[in-house]
Amino acid sequence: MRRLLLKFAAASLLAGLAAAGSAQEGHPLKGSWLGEWTGNSVHGDNILLILDWDGKAITGMINPGTDNMALTKASLEPNGWVVHLEAEGKDKDGSAVRYVIEGKIENLELPNRSINGTWSSNKGRGKFTASRQ
Amino acid sequence: MNVRASIKVCVALGAALCVAAAAAHHAIEAKFDYAKRLSLRGIVTGVDWRNPHAHVFVNVTRDGGAIENWAVELESTVLLRRSGWQHDALKPGDAIEVNGPTARDGSRQVWGERVVATATQRQVYNVVDPGPSVPQAPRPTPRGADGKPLLGVADGSGGYWAYPTSTVLMQAGANVPMNADGILARLADAPRVAPFQPWALGLYRHRQERHLADDPGYLNCKNPGGVRQFQTPYGVQLIQDPGRQRIFVLVGGGNRNYHIIYMDGRSQQGQVQGDDDNPLYYGRGVAHWEGDTLVVSTTGFNEDFWFTNGGLPHTDKLSLVERFSRPDYDTLRYEVTIDDPGAYTKPWSSGWELKWVGGEDLPVYFCQDNRS
Repeated sequence: MRRLLLKFAAASLLAGLAAAGSAQEGHPLKGSWLGEWTGNSVHGDNILLILDWDGKAITGMINPGTDNMALTKASLEPNGWVVHLEAEGKDKDGSAVRYVIEGKIENLELPNRSINGTWSSNKGRGKFTASRQ
Repeated sequence: MNVRASIKVCVALGAALCVAAAAAHHAIEAKFDYAKRLSLRGIVTGVDWRNPHAHVFVNVTRDGGAIENWAVELESTVLLRRSGWQHDALKPGDAIEVNGPTARDGSRQVWGERVVATATQRQVYNVVDPGPSVPQAPRPTPRGADGKPLLGVADGSGGYWAYPTSTVLMQAGANVPMNADGILARLADAPRVAPFQPWALGLYRHRQERHLADDPGYLNCKNPGGVRQFQTPYGVQLIQDPGRQRIFVLVGGGNRNYHIIYMDGRSQQGQVQGDDDNPLYYGRGVAHWEGDTLVVSTTGFNEDFWFTNGGLPHTDKLSLVERFSRPDYDTLRYEVTIDDPGAYTKPWSSGWELKWVGGEDLPVYFCQDNRS
């Protein structure tokens, strides 16, 4: 059910974004990112990441509407466009799951740029990839 | 291969090059590499006189007799016409010599930096536009019934502002060497251009390293919002409507559109059908007079475009304070303060002047989307 909800939320977001147009020439992380954190047995393989930039800090949410994991830490290093994100959620038993996502922005100049790297948590680890929508 | 077949091949190659070349709207250095220059001689097969750049197609005979079809790219037809050129300065069959940088992608295209008709040894299609002649004695500033300067047409004969003294943006006093498109002579100078935040400096450097090839103003005809509308070679027209307390800004470059500056005391919020949160390419501009200077305050920009030549980033936190004055009939002074706490560490300022082009309407120039 969680995956179904996530897919519905993602599809709705994509439809809205497509209608609104998605060019974005400001902060490279700002926007909606859709992708996979492969092998995530707790929160599923699909991930929806909403990121924003307030001028001083990167804020955001993982899987809004379903898992609602707010970012607890986020950074972007322009030298190599290295992305570091941290978030905390809960598994189905209510236990804390602390995530760390590390990757690099590729195709920085494109509206549909991507972040490729890895994710890890106290429950597992795997490959992470997401594309800006 | 017989003659008829050869002609068909040449026409097909030429048509293919024509299609590829016609879609090329860009900063020159984004497409052509000045480190890879070329001289060639050939016979003109056609002249393609249209937006965004004119082209001359040339057959070049190589050693051994093989014929190569090359595209020679020229400036826009607007700039060529301003320099006195018409499409028929060269005709099919004319022999020419071409010098210029070649295409970065290795295709048979060359920027026509110098094109010479072999028969006459006369240079053609060169841009030598000196701009409007300025009277030796400055003409007085035209004024309206309220005594305020008229920032647009004063006598009904038409006219617009163009020939900006600067087509690039950098903080006052920086004096960073760069070309007219805003490409730095030395990438190491990037931090001096503006008080960038680290990410904004990184993005600016990235755009510079790619020779501004990703400019959405060229690739997608995104609007020249922000200061960029006052940097275009194709000019801008200011139409004051005192009865309705607004100024229409008609933009001659980019995708040739307009926006409105309001002077009726309204809020900067909710100007578009009450949609307070809808960010715009030109933002929400309101203005008032301070003496003879029109002060325009604009907020509410979106992040879908480049707000200046040269690829300086901005965010939706951008606000501009622009000061327009007309110290004499033929001069528009433009001063701007950029405040974007999303991309820069502090507000910064710049400015330049534009010249009055009297007796003419804005030239007809339309951007063409390269990606659709």
